[in-house]
Amino acid sequence: MRKALVLVTAAVLGLGLVAVGQRAPKYVVGSDINWAPFEWASAKGQYLGFDLDVMRAIAVLEGFEIEIVDMPFDSIIPAVVAGKVDIGASGFTITAERGEVVTFSQPYWKSDQAVVVRVGSGLTKEKALEAGRKVGAQRGTTGALWIEDNLVPQGVVLVEYETYPEAVLDLLAGRLDAVVQDVDPSKMAVAQYPGKLEIAGLIETGEEFGFLVALGDPKGILPKIHAGIAKLKESGAWDLLIEAYFGPSLAKIEAAWEKCISILLGEKNPLKYAQALLAEVKK
Amino acid sequence: MFPSPSFPLTAETWLRVGPYIPVLLRGLGVNIQILLGLIALGFVVGILIALLEVYAPRPLAFVGSAYAWFFRGVPEIVLLFLFYFGLSRTFNIPVSPFLAAVLALGLRSSAYQAQIFRGALLSIPHGQMMAARALGLGPVRAIFHVILPQALRLSLAGWSNEFSSVLKDTTLAWGIGVVEVMRQAAYIRGRDFPLTLPIYLTVAFMFLVLTYAGNWAIGAVEKRLRVPGLETRR
Repeated sequence: MRKALVLVTAAVLGLGLVAVGQRAPKYVVGSDINWAPFEWASAKGQYLGFDLDVMRAIAVLEGFEIEIVDMPFDSIIPAVVAGKVDIGASGFTITAERGEVVTFSQPYWKSDQAVVVRVGSGLTKEKALEAGRKVGAQRGTTGALWIEDNLVPQGVVLVEYETYPEAVLDLLAGRLDAVVQDVDPSKMAVAQYPGKLEIAGLIETGEEFGFLVALGDPKGILPKIHAGIAKLKESGAWDLLIEAYFGPSLAKIEAAWEKCISILLGEKNPLKYAQALLAEVKK
Repeated sequence: MFPSPSFPLTAETWLRVGPYIPVLLRGLGVNIQILLGLIALGFVVGILIALLEVYAPRPLAFVGSAYAWFFRGVPEIVLLFLFYFGLSRTFNIPVSPFLAAVLALGLRSSAYQAQIFRGALLSIPHGQMMAARALGLGPVRAIFHVILPQALRLSLAGWSNEFSSVLKDTTLAWGIGVVEVMRQAAYIRGRDFPLTLPIYLTVAFMFLVLTYAGNWAIGAVEKRLRVPGLETRR
């Protein structure tokens, strides 16, 4: 009896080992899930957004598994360096400074910075950024770095926040004259306060977003990401995802996402998913 | 000119909070899990440290004091980072954010709990020990059967204070990526900026209920274990 048990145990363990050997690799994706429409949590607490759906689609196309982990923006690069996270996907602007500690993918997104002001403040972009003004930005973002490099020497006061919503709230409360942030999240913020906030103008920084992995890509993840993005663009799914995520209201995207996500994760068909998602948000 | 308040707390705003309550409670569940883990860890280690400080020979007692000094002196968020990033980088031990939070906050709490237990141990009259030894109990048995049970009973008042304190500390765990109630609140705020104030008021209310319930339970235990004439509260 005992012998049989030992044999069975050994067999199970053996099978387990074989299974582990054959299983698709699993990568941990770190993201600061608080930056719609690139990544945010739905009313039910599910993670969605352009970055995340792109990662999910690439995983499907390139045959690996991902686990999306939410963490503070500031902590993602340290976590990648420490080997706790394999991929950073959180609207990271590619910079030389970051490039010294992590390796970026090819750029997948171009962005400029927007200057958001209160409606009725009468501030143009130029006036909002002149000497003596208080301008808010999210700490560690390129918007904050840009203000520090270009405006602080001229006498603009930079106020930094842990998250973007905090900066917007201080702008609404009258403690700031303007907030500088990437164009797409800025549009989302303005949409949430109709008649209260407006975009005074754009700062053309021509930044490029990239996914990032550990320095030198020791696990060989980047070729898979590049191949996946190429396939998405070739099939047209890429443009459909952009149309679905950039424009419609968050509530609409959430409802559509919930309806369609099984096409991506279950049927594993990114193109069909992107088509269905777009059709659903357009309804 | 100063703008009008940007988030008026109307009934309509409060109604919009309702659907988010389940998500917040899910986050609060994680805080409670961290709390249970850290307070249990802190209790066990705290008693050991207190016994070391009170009864161990000099060098060992010094180790206990140094431990308490370290964990009481370093800010919580630094401890969290040390355990989360430090353990995996320096010693190659894979720790999840949750485990790191329980370890960091639990060991920190143990240092505080040790002070509570130490004070209680020292407040037991020396005659008790002498009487126990005179009855033939060895020093270890005298401590565990006579001194410690009395000391623990006396510790309850201070312990309820520590409970309230560490319960709120669990909200720091988001710093290393544990998705607890503060993070759930941030999600809601991220998709619905105008709900910022009502959501945090809701979180505050949840913690008020939890601290009340916890302190009530500890108070009930204290009442049950009370020995007339030997209370801490008079």
